[in-house]
Amino acid sequence: MSDRRLAQTRSAFLPHAVTDAASNPLTNHLLAALPKPEWERWQSQLKVVDLPLGKVLYEPGVTLAHVYFPTTAIVSLLYVMENGASAEIAVVGNEGIVGISLFMGGESTPSRAVVQSAGQGFQMTAEAMKDEFNRSGPVLHLLLRYTQALITQMAQTAVCNRHHTLDQQLCRWLLLSLDRLSGSELLMTQELIANMLGVRREGVTESALKLQNAGLIRYSRCHIKVLDRAGLERRSCECYAVVKKEYDRLLPVQTAT
Amino acid sequence: MAGAGVDRDHGGMRSPLPADFADARQNQLLAALPSGQLERWWPAFEPVDLHAGEVLCEAGGIWTSVIFPRTAIVSLTYLARDGATTEFGVVGNEGVVGIAAFMSGQAAPSRAVVQRAGQGLRLNAQVLRDTLQHAGPVLALLLRYTQSLIAQMVQTAACNRHHSIDQQFCRRLLMGLDRSPTCEIHMTHEAMANLLGVRREGVTAAAQRLQGAGAIRYHRGHIEVLDRRHLEQRSCECYAVARKEYERLMPLPLAA
Repeated sequence: MSDRRLAQTRSAFLPHAVTDAASNPLTNHLLAALPKPEWERWQSQLKVVDLPLGKVLYEPGVTLAHVYFPTTAIVSLLYVMENGASAEIAVVGNEGIVGISLFMGGESTPSRAVVQSAGQGFQMTAEAMKDEFNRSGPVLHLLLRYTQALITQMAQTAVCNRHHTLDQQLCRWLLLSLDRLSGSELLMTQELIANMLGVRREGVTESALKLQNAGLIRYSRCHIKVLDRAGLERRSCECYAVVKKEYDRLLPVQTAT
Repeated sequence: MAGAGVDRDHGGMRSPLPADFADARQNQLLAALPSGQLERWWPAFEPVDLHAGEVLCEAGGIWTSVIFPRTAIVSLTYLARDGATTEFGVVGNEGVVGIAAFMSGQAAPSRAVVQRAGQGLRLNAQVLRDTLQHAGPVLALLLRYTQSLIAQMVQTAACNRHHSIDQQFCRRLLMGLDRSPTCEIHMTHEAMANLLGVRREGVTAAAQRLQGAGAIRYHRGHIEVLDRRHLEQRSCECYAVARKEYERLMPLPLAA
């Protein structure tokens, strides 16, 4: 089990925890990494919200009203072309925050953020986020480190889209999603995966079948169960490992206290 | 040619600087700094001559200084295990190279390589970080720049998925033009192929098509752009989107 998932288990099932993982702010690693004064100050600013599949958290060009810290949901940062073709640029789950443009100063971006795997998360208003960013050194540094990890993910996506096969990209994508969930299952239509990868659904069907035949996953309807994670890692391109290594280096998972 | 601020006759000690820092302001970020900041940083600046192909920082290397290009252009690239390289970002006089130094990471898996020779100003990373300790106007400026770089990378990721070599070639030419004081781009087909992550033959074919249309004149490593509008029409939307984001975020427009 990855360190990240182990930490999720620890944080979700602490003896004194009264909430489940979805509504426990400790499930989000950035929130869990806040120093005590910030953590206490933030409690009244964080609101648990449902993040249903397909919900758009921000539209292109529109000033963000909130930032989100997913706990059990996974969010895609997607660029959609004029002709409707889409490409996922990065994925954000319980390791991160959705809405960096609020503290990066842009307030909006040309891409959109869409919930790709339903779940929950914590919402904070734009005003509160900007306020905290400006007032707290630790918050600033934490969020900048997170942003750098996200930049690495985006850069790797650019590279991967140029050089690697759909098979490899599907493995990379499955692994990145799995890292942001507890367990080894994903609920996702092939259509949705195709939109994320920016390819035709038939291509995803074909790749998924190959992975199934190799005993790496079991795929029925929308339900993907990963049977052999190590096998997926071997089959993925190097891009998965590069991104994971950067996230682990910049955002080491805190032992929940 | 000695860079601004270096007086060789004094054995490396800096002579008093031109009051208007004209050379430094060739870099747009430096030109946009709050009043007094450039003066405060000046003792820590070092003018540098950057040579084509020079690796400024290897993947995983620590950025001990950042570079503000004046006339040079730097490629942010990823070097794959099989030796293939792909450029995912371009930095010229509109930006700064080495954002990892202030994004708190200090190192990054990418490799920064000088794509077009020229000059720049190097600033010690610790000096930079000391200025950025707390949120303030300098940090705000650098973060907006970083967001514009992110926008560039987002487009590159999407572009690599969906668009043709012809479109990507045009896009990359335009990005080079925006960071150049002239209409000339010093780049061989081989170099362009490495940046785009495609085979040289594809670039040659695309260049021939553009030359046939009278948009460029290509001769032995020099591309002269004759018809910029043609390039903009042939490019995909990715060029305009990234440029528009840059102009929205940053106070000064790109060249041309």
